[in-house]
Amino acid sequence: MGCAKDIVEHCGVPRFVWSDFPLGNSAGRPFDVESQARTLELALRLLETAPAARTTVASPLRWAADATWKHRFLDVAKLSSEEIAERRKEFDVVKAVAKAKREGA
Amino acid sequence: MSGPTIQFAPEDDVPIRYMDRTREYYQALGFAPYRWAHFTDAPFTPLAVPLARARVALITTAAPFQPEAGDQGPRAPYNASAKFYQVYSMPADSKPDLRISHVGYDRANTVPEDLNAYVPLERLQEAGAAGRIGGLTPRFHGAPTNRSHRVTVETDAPELLRRCRQDGADAVVLVPS
Repeated sequence: MGCAKDIVEHCGVPRFVWSDFPLGNSAGRPFDVESQARTLELALRLLETAPAARTTVASPLRWAADATWKHRFLDVAKLSSEEIAERRKEFDVVKAVAKAKREGA
Repeated sequence: MSGPTIQFAPEDDVPIRYMDRTREYYQALGFAPYRWAHFTDAPFTPLAVPLARARVALITTAAPFQPEAGDQGPRAPYNASAKFYQVYSMPADSKPDLRISHVGYDRANTVPEDLNAYVPLERLQEAGAAGRIGGLTPRFHGAPTNRSHRVTVETDAPELLRRCRQDGADAVVLVPS
């Protein structure tokens, strides 16, 4: 179950339920039990019925009425050079933190 | 002569090209391009028992809340301190506190305040109670989001498989967050 269609299909998996939702909502819409139950049911149906590897089923659920949200994720065109420099610095810090934690693990 | 007008969906209403978007982003920041896992084939095993009798395992990339690891709340910035580097397992009949501040979910469009949107544990528990699946395996498992392909493929994935087999899983649902 996932939201990043290109990444999961690039890897290749036995079965895939794709939700066209923002990353972080692989199992359905927040606080919407019906949406979550329908998404899981697609996964269960896929377990039962997929005819071959790499079968993708697209959830019919929509995140929003239009696609404007899709332009907001990692939109580098909207960043100033100062913001880019700032994010680069932040990312260096984050990588150092992760490295320290990994090596201590 | 004019027929009915066909209303196509807008051209931009397509799956987000995350790999392109991420490549451009990190290139602008001056970092080397990430290489995503890529295979031209994938294994396939048909379900060996009816789903109503199958034991289903759940694998998540969400992280158990770590009180000492900084802000892991729904509006936390990316928090590398909250990452984990070893496979973990927790009881599947529990209500665990699992967070995703340690991964790059879509912070521009979503606020992860509902665990059930990224970990379908409660929905799977209900599917078990309803008889839709035979039940969950005794434990669900956490997969580290390690940036090393080698560690994922050679260490973490075999460990996850070992635990799923140990628990008698007939099927596994993997849910990246």
